[in-house]
Amino acid sequence: MTLQMTKTQKLLRFLANNTVPILFLIICAFGIPLSGYSANYLVSEILVRIVRNSFLIISLLIPILAGMGLNFGMTLGAMAGQIGLIFITDWGIVGIPGMLLAMIISTPISILLGWWCGKILNMARGREMVTSYIIGFFMNGIYQLIVLYGMGVVIPVRSNSLLLPRGYGIRNTVNLIGIRKSLDNLLTIRVFGISIPLVSFLVIAMLCLFILWFKKTKLGQDMRSVGQDMEVARAAGIRVEHTRIISIIISTVFAGYGMILYLQNIGTLNTYNSHMQIGMFSVAALLVGGATVAKANIRNVFLGVILFHLMFIVSPMAGKNLIGQAQLGEYFRVFVSYGVITISLVLYEVRKKRDQAQVGLALASEQEAGA
Amino acid sequence: MKLIVNKRFWVRSAAIIVILAFSVFLFFIGRQHTILVDNKSITINETEFQPLQLVEVQINKQPPLELAARDRDKYEATGQKHTVTIMYTDKTWEEHVIVRTFKVPLMQDMLIISIPALVGNPDSEQSVWLENYELPTYAMTAQPAEEHVVTDDFAGLI
Amino acid sequence: MIVNELTSSVKGFIKSFGLPRVIIGLFLLLLFVTAPFVGVNVGTSLSDTLNRFGMNAVMVLAMVPMIHSGCGLNFGLPLGIIAGLLGATISLQVNIPGPMSFVLAILFATPFAVVLGWGYGQLLNRVKGGEMMIATYVGFSSVAFMCIMWLLLPFSNPTMVWGYSGRGLRTTISTEGYYLHVLNDFLSIRLTSHLVIPTGMILFFAVLAFIIWAFLHTKTGTAMTAVGSNPVFARASGINVDRVRTLSVIMSTWLGAMGILVYQQSFGFIQLYMGPFYMALPAVSAILIGGASVNKASILNVIVGTFLFQGIVTMTPSVMNSMIHTDMSEVIRIVVSNGMILYALTRKTEAVR
Repeated sequence: MTLQMTKTQKLLRFLANNTVPILFLIICAFGIPLSGYSANYLVSEILVRIVRNSFLIISLLIPILAGMGLNFGMTLGAMAGQIGLIFITDWGIVGIPGMLLAMIISTPISILLGWWCGKILNMARGREMVTSYIIGFFMNGIYQLIVLYGMGVVIPVRSNSLLLPRGYGIRNTVNLIGIRKSLDNLLTIRVFGISIPLVSFLVIAMLCLFILWFKKTKLGQDMRSVGQDMEVARAAGIRVEHTRIISIIISTVFAGYGMILYLQNIGTLNTYNSHMQIGMFSVAALLVGGATVAKANIRNVFLGVILFHLMFIVSPMAGKNLIGQAQLGEYFRVFVSYGVITISLVLYEVRKKRDQAQVGLALASEQEAGA
Repeated sequence: MKLIVNKRFWVRSAAIIVILAFSVFLFFIGRQHTILVDNKSITINETEFQPLQLVEVQINKQPPLELAARDRDKYEATGQKHTVTIMYTDKTWEEHVIVRTFKVPLMQDMLIISIPALVGNPDSEQSVWLENYELPTYAMTAQPAEEHVVTDDFAGLI
Repeated sequence: MIVNELTSSVKGFIKSFGLPRVIIGLFLLLLFVTAPFVGVNVGTSLSDTLNRFGMNAVMVLAMVPMIHSGCGLNFGLPLGIIAGLLGATISLQVNIPGPMSFVLAILFATPFAVVLGWGYGQLLNRVKGGEMMIATYVGFSSVAFMCIMWLLLPFSNPTMVWGYSGRGLRTTISTEGYYLHVLNDFLSIRLTSHLVIPTGMILFFAVLAFIIWAFLHTKTGTAMTAVGSNPVFARASGINVDRVRTLSVIMSTWLGAMGILVYQQSFGFIQLYMGPFYMALPAVSAILIGGASVNKASILNVIVGTFLFQGIVTMTPSVMNSMIHTDMSEVIRIVVSNGMILYALTRKTEAVR
């Protein structure tokens, strides 16, 4: 006995399932005219943001596939990428070779951190998201231990310009002038006065293709079954713990590469702060695109980047024109960023309960019909 | 984890070796050096070479620099092998062009080419006119002391 | 034979207490022992530790009701802190200087705490199972929201608002002239020239702790514990699980408000805007260091945990600075507190939903 839904029910269902993106569309629809930015400016800014952030956000897709929720532990990958960049800046390697070398250096570090993170998440079954969140903070402490106290003392650093005046520890900001925009500037075309970095888009497109291909492989299918039901997967002979750890490792490695791409676009490394913010922004952007804790695809990534960063760009100006204080707009966008994560998490839990209740009701009615 | 030596093991080891070799290759082609070109008088083996009045220097294919007497300028060059092209007009109003290639040691950050020495001995080996250069330490103390902010979450909202 | 018994009893002790806690306890002991040898005055250190203990203990106490009722670790403590901040700012706006302002702050904070706690509790009731993550983000969102509010709300007391525009609150507001050290100096005992015991503050904490302890032994309190340990059984016994959980959240929020007021009177400043953002983490890790788990906590955990945590936070900078002339305290604090939370999150618990 299937329930036929009327048009209005279908519309309501659509609205309910896509609350967050629609909410964001409304905010942007208000904010863009208020801010007074030209369409040209906004389009070029959004393109830059897409190039910068997509890789990082795509790295979040695989843990969601494997049922690990939102991987706040991508911070660990970001740290690995940053360490790679510190080394190549120290050694004076520039351009594409520098970027590639940073990626190669970051990979074993990411694998190690991802493996450790996956092991801990396996020990905290049912609480993966909070645990990955705290792991990010914990590793921040270890990262500081290495970068603020170890570099220059235990780890040899050649160039003095990288170190703090006291002689050890990396400085607050590291100038990545050597690799700045090296990937972006490889091949650009100008369309309507907006320059589009083709190679970067190509790299992102290749990553999307990789994700699509990966979902069809045996490992990808294993992860999906683990994500849907761990016990069923275990009964089917899948090594559940091993698969979960692999999903975190892949995510961390990609987060490392994504961080390097992000930083080569910006050109400056904020040694002690970049990696902490990036986790929150990537998660928020993914959720804005309509992803949930249990389901996310490439569409969500790009929709999310566009909507989230549009809101981000127009808020300060909109706040200034609306109330007279740009500071208000900045606080507003912080509030919205956190608020959207809160709403998404709440909706996910509520919907999960509702689905479980419906399954229970369906089961009960079947039993009654059978009896 | 036991170490099982089978085909998989060899393939993986080969892959790792390839990546390592590739990394070393990247290191070589990506290493950037700062090359100073110097037009000051210089004394080698008790022979003094005078600076030239006006000389044009070019490293690889980068835009050429003009140096007057006692001038010094710098280039950033990536890689190990480079070409230096010098064009100058001497007292007899003749134009001379000297082209030399040279190799830079891998781990050296800065080097200095002495133009007078090169012009004086156009065919000598590179150690005559090319030297390693260390930045004098007084240049380092000009950095301001800074406090790092540890948990400033929104310092650089991007 | 005796050696065997000794090692097995030591092992048993370590197992029940938890290896990280033993390590932390020994580390703190080590710091105190080395202090006099590196020129750090033990009296001052003890005094500082006691001071910080008093400052933070109430906020750690706020963790207890929610852990008892099964809502997990209260990462949403910033919500209670905001209620306290609202009470403090309104009390300063009313502008009655002296100790009375502290009483007023408590009076003003309470209705905010109850209302916010009630709403927060309703939300948590609908998301059973994912409370901790949502609590974290509710806390963050509310701090960010209040940032907007602090700019817009019509405060006018000159000590509070920005000088130029006269609108919008400053980031930090001094409590001097109002309730600075109101509790600290109340009945404080001066043992030596270096060692001062802030009796008033500790008494305040003791009173609150006693109230909570007594509450947990009342009928409602035992219902709360039942809901936390076995919600199905509690519902079968006729307890309204949702109501009890909401009550625990309200209590926790109110204690958070009280906690920030105690903290402010000792610290000397009201910290607005992004100040309360990360304040849940030290409280959470303190109670975990004291022996609590995600669904079991006692007042003893609060006392022991706060003392150990604040002891480390106080002693590490001074001792380490004198020893190796490096200030690693921030990093050690991050590693210790987050490591402790990680340890607690990865324990196998009895009531896993």
